[in-house]
Amino acid sequence: MPAKILLVDDDPDVMLFNKTVAEENGFQTVTAANGEEGLALLEKEHPDLVVLDVLMPRQSGVKMYRTIKTEEKWRDIPVIILSGISRRSFLKSQEALTEFGEENVPQPEAYLEKPVEAGDLARTIQNNLKKAEN
Amino acid sequence: MMSGPVKKLLFVTRFEDLGFDTLQLFLELRKTSLEHIVFLYVIQRDKVAFQRGVGYKKSEEIRLREKANIRFIDWAETLFEQGMEVGVYITVGNLVSQVLSAVDKEGIDLVVIGNSEKKRLSQLVSGSDIAELMHRTPAPVLTINFPSDAKRLTENPFHRPLVALNWLPGEQRILDFLLSLKGIVQGVDVIHVAREQDLKGTSAMGVQKTRKEQRKRLEAVCGQLEASDISAQAHVYVGEPSEEIHRAARDCRSSLIVIGSPQKKAFDGKFRKSLPVELAETALCPVLLVPGSSAAAGEP
Repeated sequence: MPAKILLVDDDPDVMLFNKTVAEENGFQTVTAANGEEGLALLEKEHPDLVVLDVLMPRQSGVKMYRTIKTEEKWRDIPVIILSGISRRSFLKSQEALTEFGEENVPQPEAYLEKPVEAGDLARTIQNNLKKAEN
Repeated sequence: MMSGPVKKLLFVTRFEDLGFDTLQLFLELRKTSLEHIVFLYVIQRDKVAFQRGVGYKKSEEIRLREKANIRFIDWAETLFEQGMEVGVYITVGNLVSQVLSAVDKEGIDLVVIGNSEKKRLSQLVSGSDIAELMHRTPAPVLTINFPSDAKRLTENPFHRPLVALNWLPGEQRILDFLLSLKGIVQGVDVIHVAREQDLKGTSAMGVQKTRKEQRKRLEAVCGQLEASDISAQAHVYVGEPSEEIHRAARDCRSSLIVIGSPQKKAFDGKFRKSLPVELAETALCPVLLVPGSSAAAGEP
């Protein structure tokens, strides 16, 4: 059975790209346009890996990532951040939220800054699924 | 309808009007409740519209979208690093519809929007976006006129608001809103403008009596604010409401004019300008329009 990837991005063009790359590499995909939808699908679809954008309406990837990594049932799911927001800003945002009294969260399994090459995305998904299996 | 604390702010920008410097003035609201900023950039349809021989200008839409996206990413990085939640909408269409849609989808508590001089002139014929927005949105709308405000907007508008009251039931929402900003608001000036025609034919004693009555009501409002440790001062002005409110804002060195705005089922902004809209379009300081009152302050 192919691994199931949850793709979360509000940009339809990026979503089409990510979905095509994932499916061409033999993965099953489910898609969400923001963090709220993403969390609902996480609950319903039990994906093996999440590819997550950061800057989205309704709920950002910063918040969704934090929810994934602080929930016992989800924290082991690998998350690849794929965003125009820099890795540095993302990590700082998590540090700031921790400083405001929220739970400390680990760094994401991988961070890719947009735009990304199809090969890099496919390779990163494969590598992180393998790591999670082990 | 209660006006609660501002948790989510919608920042509507065309970049040449409201910039990140203006947004930063509002970040002080984090002291009370602000935790989420939503950016909205609306590409006007006529900039990319279908034209004979050219078709729909898709490449222009992409160019404008990406330009806005790059700007928003930069702003969002700064806000994320401060532990804030940020969202973005970049859309093509009618400004008012897109603002209303974002307010509805996101549950916005405060809309901040620029009102440029160029845009105001173009709207003399076509009707005002601000007027339509004011009549249709359930959220308070803070308008900032440009370029006139560009030089003077150097402090949080909520520091020294001037509240114009006309004793309408919905106006309590204005006070609820200001009370939710305790710790940010440094002092409030509360004003009622009595129309001259209401005083005609009465004696000097009668005029003074009217002033005294109005002042007493205003002082009761001040008492409500002061009970929450917000200092407040009552003022009665007489004359044409728009002029007198402008005058009071100058006299009090107000950072913001706050006024109730009517919500109407059928928008008639093209035909008749209400006092709140007139203020929003002409004030030298920002104007906060708080919906929920059945008619606007100073209106007959």
